[in-house]
Amino acid sequence: MTLRVHPARPLAPIFVAAAIVGTWWVVAHNSGSGWVQALGDVVFGVLFIGIVGPSLVLARAKIHLAAAPLDGTAGLTLDLTIRASTRLRVSPADPPGPEAFIGPTRRRGAGEERVTVLPDQRGVHHFVTLRVATAAPFGLQWWAHRVRVGLPAPLHVAPRRGQPEPLPRWVHEQLGESVQRVPTDSGEPRGVRPYRSGDDRRHVNWAATAHAAELMLRELEEPAAEPVRLTVVLPLDPEQGERVAERALGTVVVLLERGAAVILATTESSGPVVASVADRRGAGRRLARAVSQPGASAGAGIAMSR
Amino acid sequence: MRVLEAIRRANQPRAPEHSVRLRVATTCAVLVAIGASVAESTLAPATAVLAAALVVAGMVFSHATRERPPWWIKVLVAIAAVAALVWFTRQLSAIAGEDITSVEDLLTGLFGAILVVHSFHVPSRRDLMFSLGSSGALMAAAAAQAVDLHFAWYALGWAALSLWTLVEGWVSASGGGQTSIAGLIAALVGVTAVAAAVFLVLPAPSFAVRIDFLARQGSGGSVGIPGTLAGDAGGAGQAAEPSRPGSPAGRTRVGGYLGFANRLDTALRGNLSHTVVMRVRAQRPSYWVGETFDSWDGQSWGATRIASHAAQGSPFTVPTPQGDIAGSQTDLQTFYVATSTPDLVFHAENATELWFPTSTVFYGDDGTIVSPIGLGKGTIYTVESSVSAAAPQQLREAGGGDLGRVFGGGTLPPALQRRYTQLPHAYPRVQALAQAITAGAPTTYDRIQALIAWMGANTHYSTDTPPLPAGADTVDEFLFGNRVGFCEQISTSLAVMLRTLDIPVRETVGYVPGPYNPVTDLYEVRASDAHAWVQVWFPGYGWQSFDPTAAVPLANPAPGATALTEVGHALRSIPVVPVVVAVAGAGLAVAVGRRRRSRPRTWAEQVSRRIERAGRRAGRPRRASETITEYATDLDHISGDGSLTWSRLAGAVEGSAYGGRQPPPGDRREILASARRSRVRSAAAGRTIGLITSRSFGQKVAASEQRRSPSGGGHRPGDPA
Repeated sequence: MTLRVHPARPLAPIFVAAAIVGTWWVVAHNSGSGWVQALGDVVFGVLFIGIVGPSLVLARAKIHLAAAPLDGTAGLTLDLTIRASTRLRVSPADPPGPEAFIGPTRRRGAGEERVTVLPDQRGVHHFVTLRVATAAPFGLQWWAHRVRVGLPAPLHVAPRRGQPEPLPRWVHEQLGESVQRVPTDSGEPRGVRPYRSGDDRRHVNWAATAHAAELMLRELEEPAAEPVRLTVVLPLDPEQGERVAERALGTVVVLLERGAAVILATTESSGPVVASVADRRGAGRRLARAVSQPGASAGAGIAMSR
Repeated sequence: MRVLEAIRRANQPRAPEHSVRLRVATTCAVLVAIGASVAESTLAPATAVLAAALVVAGMVFSHATRERPPWWIKVLVAIAAVAALVWFTRQLSAIAGEDITSVEDLLTGLFGAILVVHSFHVPSRRDLMFSLGSSGALMAAAAAQAVDLHFAWYALGWAALSLWTLVEGWVSASGGGQTSIAGLIAALVGVTAVAAAVFLVLPAPSFAVRIDFLARQGSGGSVGIPGTLAGDAGGAGQAAEPSRPGSPAGRTRVGGYLGFANRLDTALRGNLSHTVVMRVRAQRPSYWVGETFDSWDGQSWGATRIASHAAQGSPFTVPTPQGDIAGSQTDLQTFYVATSTPDLVFHAENATELWFPTSTVFYGDDGTIVSPIGLGKGTIYTVESSVSAAAPQQLREAGGGDLGRVFGGGTLPPALQRRYTQLPHAYPRVQALAQAITAGAPTTYDRIQALIAWMGANTHYSTDTPPLPAGADTVDEFLFGNRVGFCEQISTSLAVMLRTLDIPVRETVGYVPGPYNPVTDLYEVRASDAHAWVQVWFPGYGWQSFDPTAAVPLANPAPGATALTEVGHALRSIPVVPVVVAVAGAGLAVAVGRRRRSRPRTWAEQVSRRIERAGRRAGRPRRASETITEYATDLDHISGDGSLTWSRLAGAVEGSAYGGRQPPPGDRREILASARRSRVRSAAAGRTIGLITSRSFGQKVAASEQRRSPSGGGHRPGDPA
């Protein structure tokens, strides 16, 4: 979508141009000289084209977003690859970013340029909104407008990694960090150990015994921990929602780092979504898509359950 | 505080400008402006050379110190700028009490000084733009003095360099952005179109409110006997020759005109050239009066004017000639003498005030003004006239009844009445003709108009007439001969006819206004614009001009209309056939170029297009969602002959486009030829929608496919086709 082209700073150049033309006109009429008037007409033509021309240049300018990343994180920069038909000053507005010039240059001609954006909040972007401006061909007056350029694929901006929620005791137990796992006769293989008197001979590992030159026994342990279900309910206030999402991401990352399987329950615009997340990127995408529920403020927050 | 903050912000040092091109373009624009000032004499050549050298040096210094300008340079620049302003103010106040005739020169000096001073501290882009603006002020001051089209070179040069500067400024501001040639051309066309539109719409500039009236001495020499009419000087510094009538053999006087002397021989018309004699800036077009004649001898006019002189300095108050009445319409004219002219001071009728570069001028009692010096190139003087705005009805009423001897409660003095109705002998035939023509005219004005109308209907204008025989009377020869003559003979005939009717009239010579130049806002008077007409005395209104040669009244010029007329003339003069041929050739070239650009670039594209064309002809265009293979399969299905011609072709195309498999050149040619020849045949209808491919084509494509397949081996360079 293209918004209306408008002068970037409407007053100063136009007033200066009007003053120049007015002064010139007074000189022409006081001198009675046709040459002054003729030259003044040329000056007026230059000022007129210099002031109005950029609007036409801008209206005809074409911007193509050649490449963009699929994922990002709020507060971290992203580079978009953009190609422009003419030299333009670009200021990313949504997501925001620093000003840059794109378009053909005298040295290397037409080509693709990188524009950096710095998303400050999580979310899913199907477009980027750019504020483009030009003063071509004479640099007298800047004209600008906002353009929305479609992304090749949706850009998921994950929340910042916030402080993780304190993990409940059962989570620690499940993760096997506070309590030693109990060796059992049945379960998952844990390793081998030397034979002790009283051990079941059916558990002798002959290959390890041959390798260690002593009788080695397979050791079994209890089954692995159950997945941790993390329910994230975002409040209506965007700022608070952002903070909750940040904490949720921090919690998910901690859980994943400790080897826990995580099931994330969020609400997206299409409805509630409960699904496991395998890595930080997946969690970031889920939280990028998460929205608050109407009336969710009361129960907003993060809840962990088995 | 806000103001202080704004000032502080405005004076914050800007980013240094690194673009050498921008600096060079700006410097060149400034140098052209200085050159224009020299060309228009608003800046002395030595001063200009010094200023140009300092500007270049200053720009080099500024570029070298752009990153860290030394602190002292700003102080020096400020001191020098203040000094220039003080100098300008002192100079201005010195001339304010006397004659403010050289404000432009002072302004040029001020702008030049500021440009020079400022060029030593131009570190940023904004400073360079200030230099460009100052050069514009210099150009405006020079343009105010420009009176001919030679200034166009400077104007075009400065405009081009200014555009270059602005473009380089944009390139620099946009971090080295590229401006396309097409964009530049479009901008240039836009600037030209807007400037032309404004030029066409705006009225001509008026100098009614100017505070100074130009008077400048040119290159004319001295006159032997001041106050008498002199001939044109031979050149700069050469003394003017005493006045003498010219001869038809050559260009003996100004552009070959034989008038502007003590006598006007109506038997001869000089060989007039198209030399620009002078340029006139005036509020309205007028006949520029040189002198009048009162004494007619049958072939020549003579002047019995009584000269008087005025000793007071410029501006001179011109006395109203005896019997004349100042008109009600003020007309201010500035004359720029372009070539050596006689010492006559041309002006619109009824001059009242004169700004002239001498301390003395001479007036005749008929209103003729004579310069004490020869008027050479470069002479400038300004005249204010009170032009009569009498309407025909007023003149009818003034001249009604018995010729109107009564003049505002008095009468035309008998001596003047005799002087301006003098005839060398009786003109019975002429008088009878005049009386017959004016029989139904009750007033003087009506009689004049009746005579002019008769002459318009019964005489013809031509400069190509043989000289009159010796002793022949011009009027008799013209009116009762072939009735073909030039302006002196036509106007003299009218004057004599009026005199036979006892109407006071005199012969007047001067120039018609000349063509109006919409760019310079000047009337360009050429030697060929020399003219003769008559002035008739009307009670209460004085001498009124009538031109029987060209009775059509002149209209005030409009720059737009004049320029459009000129453009129309220029367009009409364009040779149609060569232009049409050139345009047609250009169109053909464009069409060929477009066709070449739209031509398929590879053989695969050609084959693909052939397939699509064959399908279209068979009434089965390709859908956007179809691959070429799907499409070809469908075409084969339509054909129904089981040859799979189109599928094979499509296979070759896809193999080339997506698999990088290129058949040998011979096969490629055969495929192309077959694609050209192939047509889709509708098996169901039994009618030929197209021609089925040649019999060998299927085998050819199959063989090609076989060679391209991994087992068959692809084509390698050097393999036989």
